[in-house]
Amino acid sequence: MEIEEKKERTFLKVIIWTIPLLLLGIFVLMILYTPAFQNGAFKVKAVFVGSSDSEAKSLDGIEKSVLKSQRNINSTERKLDQLKPVKPYIVVNTTENRFSLRNANGDTIKTGTCSTGKNEILIAGSKRILFKTPKGMFEVRNKQEDRPWIKPDWAFIEDGLPIPSARSASRVEVGSLGDYALSIGDGYMIHGTLYQRFLGLPVTHGCVRIGDTDLELIYHTLSKGSKVFIY
Amino acid sequence: MKNKLAFWIITSVLSLFVIYALVSTVLMPVLTKNPLPKATQSAPEEKAKTGKTNKANKVNKAENNNSGDDDAIPDSLVSNSSKDARQKLFELRKKEALLHSRLTLANEDSMYLVLDFVSNTAILEMKGVRLHECRILDSDISNSIKMFHTDALLNWMAEPFNVKHVDATIPKISWVEKIAPKDSIEANKAMVEPAPTKLGDVYIVMDFNRNLRLVIAQNEKPDVEGKKLISAMRWKYSEIEIRKSIQSLTKFNREPAMPQISIVLPKSDATILYKALPVNLKLILRM
Repeated sequence: MEIEEKKERTFLKVIIWTIPLLLLGIFVLMILYTPAFQNGAFKVKAVFVGSSDSEAKSLDGIEKSVLKSQRNINSTERKLDQLKPVKPYIVVNTTENRFSLRNANGDTIKTGTCSTGKNEILIAGSKRILFKTPKGMFEVRNKQEDRPWIKPDWAFIEDGLPIPSARSASRVEVGSLGDYALSIGDGYMIHGTLYQRFLGLPVTHGCVRIGDTDLELIYHTLSKGSKVFIY
Repeated sequence: MKNKLAFWIITSVLSLFVIYALVSTVLMPVLTKNPLPKATQSAPEEKAKTGKTNKANKVNKAENNNSGDDDAIPDSLVSNSSKDARQKLFELRKKEALLHSRLTLANEDSMYLVLDFVSNTAILEMKGVRLHECRILDSDISNSIKMFHTDALLNWMAEPFNVKHVDATIPKISWVEKIAPKDSIEANKAMVEPAPTKLGDVYIVMDFNRNLRLVIAQNEKPDVEGKKLISAMRWKYSEIEIRKSIQSLTKFNREPAMPQISIVLPKSDATILYKALPVNLKLILRM
């Protein structure tokens, strides 16, 4: 009898401590995880309030809306298609240093490695020159075979040489752009490279360098006005 | 006797606390506040920014309403049951909203992100061209979005979302500083073979207009350093929520629940997307 009474008392003590602690726990949890509780409450709300609009629309009205909606979809799809490139284009991924050459339908013709901008800030006195490949949509402005590289000022700054005049012969370097070069504006190009072993790495001053065989295909696939997407 | 009294007093007070917390932090915001504000109710400065876009949208809408009268409608779309027809109309209107957003953004000169939860893909697009596509390995969408097939949801999704704030464990661009000519002359360059860049662990939180939060996490297990960074970022956002909840206890007025979409991507894809996305990112949802 005594043992039973003791058990009952212990049980009561446990309850007396457990219930307030439980409530306190719930209170703390509710403050700590409010978004999770709210998320659960939305589920309950959907059950009680209903999860869709119960507009009293006639079947005829709905069908008319379906027709209108389908028409709008078809029309928008057509407009979207009109925005897509009409010529083959190239997509360059600067994070992975890869390219994808695609035809006008968007089908991949060739993928491969390339080298893009090294994301470097060159500090020369008070000057800060950024070497990065620009992102966005560009287009092939012109194509040239065996194009010599006309060295910009930064090439001399980088090598610690005095900057020559704009028309100086020392600016011309033959062979470093490879066999083909496609200009995409602002001095940026897709061209070949002497450093084939660096393909797949970010090492350029902003241009996109591509291996010889891939470059040949790209050169002959893309024409003036072809889109170049860089991301 | 004393114990019993103390028990009842403590239990009653705590129960009241719990009920008060439940009402002020959970029930009130869920029942009285719409977490999905209308796309058309954007802030004035946002309207000014997107003025051009809206104009283009209106033109597109007008054109859409007037064109394509001869388009054939699949029989399957017209159902005998009103409930089915309503559901189909809802799905069509969702698709319409998606395409409309895509067209709007394709007319702009910027990249945008499309999260397609129908095919479970994240797509980086520009001018309607898919630049990068990757599989969404796992996703979690707040009940405030996925439970309701209402006009409020359609209105909320009707236009692209504009990013307001981005937090990430990786930098957008990892710049390296070099001093000319001592670090940059040809002799030095040739000596140092460039190493492939190491990918940091990715956890990205993006807050968009219209009360949307997008969380992008990587599928791979992070390393020790990454774990610390990710935990710190998670705690930072939890702390904000806790502060809001405590404030709501004193003011009895909590902000509407923030609909959150969490996605898990392969680490390399998450990195590519984050680095490629423009600062003024725009997002389209397909659900």
